[in-house]
Amino acid sequence: MNTTDDILWRAMVYCGPSANRRHCRTLSSARYCSRTRTRLRGETVMAAAAEKPTKDKLLSTLDDIEVLSRELIEMLALSRTQKLPQPGEDTDILELLVQRDREFQELMQTALEQGRVQQEMQALEKEVEKRDSDIQQLQKQLKEAEHILATAVYQAKEKLKSIEKARKGSISSEEIIKYAHRISASNAVCAPLNWVPGDPRRPYPTDLEMRSGILGNMSNMPTNGVNGHLPGDALAAGRLPGRFTLLCPPSALFFSSRLSLSYKYCGLCVAVYFSVELQYVSLMFIFANVFLLSLLDILTPQYPWQSADVSMGILPPHHGNDFGLEPPGHNKENEDDVEAMSTDSSSSSSDSD
Amino acid sequence: MTLFTHGLRRALMTQQPLDVNMATAEPVVEEAEDYSFLPIIHDIIKCMDRDSPDVHQELNKLKTKIQEAREQISGLPGVDMSLALQESKLRMLREQVQTKNQLLQKYKSLCMFDIPKPS
Repeated sequence: MNTTDDILWRAMVYCGPSANRRHCRTLSSARYCSRTRTRLRGETVMAAAAEKPTKDKLLSTLDDIEVLSRELIEMLALSRTQKLPQPGEDTDILELLVQRDREFQELMQTALEQGRVQQEMQALEKEVEKRDSDIQQLQKQLKEAEHILATAVYQAKEKLKSIEKARKGSISSEEIIKYAHRISASNAVCAPLNWVPGDPRRPYPTDLEMRSGILGNMSNMPTNGVNGHLPGDALAAGRLPGRFTLLCPPSALFFSSRLSLSYKYCGLCVAVYFSVELQYVSLMFIFANVFLLSLLDILTPQYPWQSADVSMGILPPHHGNDFGLEPPGHNKENEDDVEAMSTDSSSSSSDSD
Repeated sequence: MTLFTHGLRRALMTQQPLDVNMATAEPVVEEAEDYSFLPIIHDIIKCMDRDSPDVHQELNKLKTKIQEAREQISGLPGVDMSLALQESKLRMLREQVQTKNQLLQKYKSLCMFDIPKPS
């Protein structure tokens, strides 16, 4: 109640059987009564149209009860001393008051029921939140599983590709073993058991061995060649070899030094093969170098200068003595030696003819 | 004045019971009195009839009770919406919970991988 209403309320109550009561009634009742009746009639119509919240209904009903009770008490206070101008009005107010009170009680019961429903709704909302968190957790797990599976599938596909690639470029294991045997037979992989530091033997063909091969002895080759093989240069030139010039052709020297390098590369390739799994590249290189090695082995049965050295002392079967080795940088001296050896070999070959 | 008291008393006695299953009248009156203002108004009118000095006290009681009722209404949970709206929300929440339970059950028991038959 506001202050003005409170004052008027008390004024109506305190007014005794006096003429002032009529004055108070004039000030307040008429105004309240007319307003209340209008509002009550309007609310009845509007309430049916819109579903108001229960709280608004309760407050509205409570206001009506307050107004009606106030009006009723005011009328009763005034009727003690004088007659009511409208006797039916008090009855109407009483009926309205009773009706409003009943409605208020019903609304309070509805409000209590809504309170219970609200508790149930809160419990359901908590359950919904829990289910949402469960769904999110499941979603995360599924996402993680999908990622793992995608990675596994990708790796499996890569494996299949590499398997297919290996199948296309497959090499017989027997061939690989054969080449490995040939490589190891030349002591290219491991030193001989009786090798000691100072031994001139190397895992690659030395200069002496290269020079003693077909390329190094191209100028000393007989007319029909060795084992029916003719030097490539003479054959390409269309001339029979016959007697070779004293000097070995430079191309042969160059080729012999290159073969020596190729043997060194062969050893490196073997190391690379076992260290880094570059199978195909290494194998091709090995194949090329072994082919050359085998060619030299076939065409080089004996070193020509060893026959002269045997008289000096016992020598290793395949390699010359220490003085036969030349450092790689002295090509001119090697050329002189080759010239001398070529002369010797040509004389020996001519003797053999 | 006497007519009003009689009328008010009759109104109190003839009030429909809120719960029709309740057999005795006393609980009905007690339950009605919990939220009813008629008893207090009846007491006020009686005091006015007798010209008792307790009228002011009764008036204060009525005023206090109205104020308490307002405060109680403001604190009630779930009265911010109408009953029909609340029931529809409750129904929706129940359906949500049911749907989410079904989804969780479905995905937890779902076999994501089709095991290929050996050819």
